[in-house]
Amino acid sequence: MIRLALIGSSEKAKIYAGLSTRLHRATWTVFAPLDSGDLSKAFGSLAKVTTIDDLFSQKLDDFDAVVVDADADVAERIAKEAMNLSKPALVGMLGQGAETIGAGNVLLMPAHPWRFIPSIQAVRRSVDTGKLGAPGLLRIHRWLPLSKIKSTIIERILPDIDLACWFFNEVPDSVWSLQSAVNDDYIQFHLGFTNGGMAMIDLAASLPSGGDYYSLTMIGEKGAAYADDHHNMNLLYSGGQPSAIRSNQGHAELVHQLQEFVDVIDGKYEQTVSLADTICAVQVVDQVLESANTREVVKKEQRK
Amino acid sequence: MEGLKVLRCGVLSVVKHDYLPRAVAAHSRFELVVVADDADQPDWVHERNQLFADEFSVPYIKNVAKAIAEYDLDLVAVSSQAERHCELAVRAAEEGLHVIADKPMSTSLSECDRLVDAVYKNDIKFLLWNRNYLPSVIQAKEAIDSGVIGELQAVHVDFYFSKDAGPPKGTRKVNDPPIDWLERQIEAHTDGSDGGVGVQPMGELQIEGIYPLGYIHLLTGENVHRVFARTTSHFHQANVDNNVDDLASVSLEIGKGIVGSLCIGRIGAASHPDIGEIKIHAIGSKGGLVITEARPEVSIYYRDQPLSEFKNERIANENDFLLMDDFARSIDTDSEPILNAQNGRDIAATVFASLESCKIGAPVEVFH
Repeated sequence: MIRLALIGSSEKAKIYAGLSTRLHRATWTVFAPLDSGDLSKAFGSLAKVTTIDDLFSQKLDDFDAVVVDADADVAERIAKEAMNLSKPALVGMLGQGAETIGAGNVLLMPAHPWRFIPSIQAVRRSVDTGKLGAPGLLRIHRWLPLSKIKSTIIERILPDIDLACWFFNEVPDSVWSLQSAVNDDYIQFHLGFTNGGMAMIDLAASLPSGGDYYSLTMIGEKGAAYADDHHNMNLLYSGGQPSAIRSNQGHAELVHQLQEFVDVIDGKYEQTVSLADTICAVQVVDQVLESANTREVVKKEQRK
Repeated sequence: MEGLKVLRCGVLSVVKHDYLPRAVAAHSRFELVVVADDADQPDWVHERNQLFADEFSVPYIKNVAKAIAEYDLDLVAVSSQAERHCELAVRAAEEGLHVIADKPMSTSLSECDRLVDAVYKNDIKFLLWNRNYLPSVIQAKEAIDSGVIGELQAVHVDFYFSKDAGPPKGTRKVNDPPIDWLERQIEAHTDGSDGGVGVQPMGELQIEGIYPLGYIHLLTGENVHRVFARTTSHFHQANVDNNVDDLASVSLEIGKGIVGSLCIGRIGAASHPDIGEIKIHAIGSKGGLVITEARPEVSIYYRDQPLSEFKNERIANENDFLLMDDFARSIDTDSEPILNAQNGRDIAATVFASLESCKIGAPVEVFH
């Protein structure tokens, strides 16, 4: 049984605690909160609560591996500590500092939960098994509601850039971006891959408060896969125009990601997400922003 | 209807999809009176023209000038090989006839410009065939115009036709000759996949780009000013052999600061249970809009259903009727139809700029 420590917000802890019974060969033993939220509603008696400092000084014997769900600055700092202490770590979300971590021989799995979303996994399987043939076009629309606590543009665009690199199994050879002159929360980018592959992604974080929208289409040489919220909407009638309500995919992505982490520690599975993936995605994020700022196409040979 | 003249239409060549002259014939304000073409056209062209003329019990004249002179025409419907669209349309315009032409407008921008000049000089009406009156497209237009999503900031059209186009890519054997474009298009007439009929090979962006770019024009009321594009031949051997795309993506900078994109492809019949996934996405200052172009539709499944039959059937599609209604109104009231010659030319300019962008790997300005 792998004993896991969690570092995250109390809000996140409630979600992770709820996954306890769905994990195989792993259990939560320690929780180090990043805030002062209501801890009684998180793990209850499942895990000891401690501080991050104590976790890495006095509680080292209470856990085998650490799971970090925090913003990039905190995640990167904690990842380095975990590596120094030879504790395997599942860390997200990593950003531009990912290159500085240097995992060495200790398992560092960057959290890319978007890869583990059931619909994305299904699309990926259809590519891996050859059902779709060679990928030709990846089309993603991601629209988010305006948030009081705004994520950075890097945090917003990294997941889809990672998905594009993952599906095409390489970094793009050309990058072209457009931003809206009147909406700072909108960007679209156009990635070109070798052999004619292409990805077109638009991302808006300016919807009115409420639901988000996501659509991913992968068009391959022999077939196509459509993971589209539009297909998965039900209708709610409560007067006036009906509302669309999306069928929930739950937190399956966190379960699958955690289980992979545990299985890799156990030696039962090969790691599918590496620090190199994060570093590649961050580099492409930089190119997307560079293209948006310079209004130039960023090509492979021009890269720094 | 009472008191309004029934307009006499000549069909100038009907060698590919015949939806256009059929739509003319189906509308009560129009009647087909003759099919005409140039005598020097190859036999397969004359055969198709004759077949259509026979079906509608009108004469087939192998002389365009004679048909125009003798049949008291008000308009012509042009559905020839793509490279002849503008030439035939210009000849009709010079005789003062209104014109409805199939897409693409032309295989060359200079031909589009020549047609625009002829339309203005002769003060005639020109309609480029389009799908802007599909029920969902109208719904998108109404939603945007109502202001419910605020000022339009971005618009995207994903336009994938799940049709085949001959043998799949990679199936040509080492010593086989490349597929001849025109031969393939002639052969494709039987299954309706001959949208690119003509001598000059055309990619999907050039053949079908008018439709999604027509939506964008309708929804924004603006021209595209700059494009960045990528294209590839990903599915079909005919496209590979003739070095034309069957998959393309285009980033668009549109008037009034609107941005957008077009993704288009002839992605193969296996890639969707119906004709394809076609969607409009729009972002405004107050919200967003996601529209499936195929709605409304009815799903029909049954034992021994042919694989080639679409399981979802579009219903209440009055696009053809409404286009003809629009054109009649345009003629009656001396107003512009929903997609006129200048609009068509501007869309063609966007397509040609996209092809150039792909060639040079850089954004390209669209000149209007």
